[in-house]
Amino acid sequence: MAKVMQGVKVLEVAQFTYVPAAGAILADWGADVIKVEHPERGDTQRGFVNLGGIKVNPKRSPFVEHPNRGKRSVGIDISKPEGMAVIYELAKTADVFLTNYRPSQRQRMKFDVEHIRAINPNIIYARGSAYGDKGPERDTGGFDGTAFWNRSGLADTFTPKELDGPLNQAIPAFGDSIGAMFIAGGISAALFHRERTGEAVEMDVSLLSTAWWAAGTSIDMGLDCGQIMHNAMPRSGGNPGNPLMGNYRTEDGGTINMCTLTPGPHIKNFFEHIGKPELAEDERFSSVEALMQNWEAASAEIDAAFRSKPFLYWREHLKTYSGQWAPVQSLMDLTTDEQALANDMLFEVEAADGGDPIKLVRGPVQFNHEPVQTTRAPEASEHTELVLMEMGMEWEEIEKLKALGAIA
Amino acid sequence: MKPGTKLKSAVCDTEVMVIRGSDAVVECGGAPMLDEKPAEAGALADAFAEGTQMGKRYVDEAGTVELLCVKAGKGSLAIDGVILKTKDAKSLPSSD
Repeated sequence: MAKVMQGVKVLEVAQFTYVPAAGAILADWGADVIKVEHPERGDTQRGFVNLGGIKVNPKRSPFVEHPNRGKRSVGIDISKPEGMAVIYELAKTADVFLTNYRPSQRQRMKFDVEHIRAINPNIIYARGSAYGDKGPERDTGGFDGTAFWNRSGLADTFTPKELDGPLNQAIPAFGDSIGAMFIAGGISAALFHRERTGEAVEMDVSLLSTAWWAAGTSIDMGLDCGQIMHNAMPRSGGNPGNPLMGNYRTEDGGTINMCTLTPGPHIKNFFEHIGKPELAEDERFSSVEALMQNWEAASAEIDAAFRSKPFLYWREHLKTYSGQWAPVQSLMDLTTDEQALANDMLFEVEAADGGDPIKLVRGPVQFNHEPVQTTRAPEASEHTELVLMEMGMEWEEIEKLKALGAIA
Repeated sequence: MKPGTKLKSAVCDTEVMVIRGSDAVVECGGAPMLDEKPAEAGALADAFAEGTQMGKRYVDEAGTVELLCVKAGKGSLAIDGVILKTKDAKSLPSSD
């Protein structure tokens, strides 16, 4: 893929998925991303032994690969002044400083914006936080499970009121991965602005703002008319007012999601596809006004039709339908979905353990129709000597800092 | 062996970079490592066939030698027949 970020150097002092995954996106795009990790422990995420109760192989951990592919890792103890001096040295030549440490930590260890800007006034200072860098809770940490999913209102909205308690986020690093793309986008705009005007800006994305943007249409609507949409219990049948919207169960318990928001132009084509061409001539359904008026009767007819054939039949058969629909698939179905693969959804990196290549999902943006080409996530501190020598540090100094435990 | 030197296995694909050196002779797969790969690979000794992992650091018990694996292979790294250990991140156990 075109390396649109080639020549951009990103210094990442961050952990977990949310902010590191922004670094991974920039690395996919060609940036030189230097990931700073604790000399002994590494990124805390390296210690994740379970993923939703499923055991993780630490040598091939998706928790490490997804947010860190394509980077170089340097082991630096940022709590030691000698370690922070190395950070300052690296910051001198960096274009972007990327962090998700909390304000009190940035102040205590002296890598807040004023400390980094004192070294490099032209650096873009990018922060990812749980709740935003202003306000009474700017120093409160969080994960996507807390800030993005639960506090934001997403869990409440996704959960039918009949259920005894809110649904869980279900996908690890779901909000993190979305928010990471927002950070990468913000950094791209900041780099463009600096290129044009010479001004380096500070940039913030929070997990809470990630959710409120994603839910923006609903929130705006709620503010204006005092009502918002809310998930209902699953059922088979059309939505009130539009029978070409809704989930329909198939003969074998699969589900076809109909999503034809503007049903009028598709009435004839649709009824032909479900094997009931005569219904398009039925005066209850033949015009869009009548169809919307008689949605319940239409829904019953459609439901019966879908229940007469299995899921795989509908998945193939509806491909020629003129309106919008989708088969309800699993995430694993997606990995064999011809259309996803035709758009380079997956790419491979060499595995550090010498085993089979690791398959990874690419970011959502593609340049020039080209697949991602990058390297695996680094081992903790894999590139310390290489990066520091590139920076001009002598071997004696490296030895000295190692003896102090400032680097590894 | 000096820091920065690259050593290659005589029996497998393993290659390492010396990070901290000493006078010791590093073996891989049971045979001394060399500056250049031999034309024909030797036999891998069964007792030294645990494999190496790219990007990992290997250290001896005394901490006098540190090697960075830059190419993975089938042999085990050793000095005087004692297998070197990987220097692993002591991560904090976590679970989502």
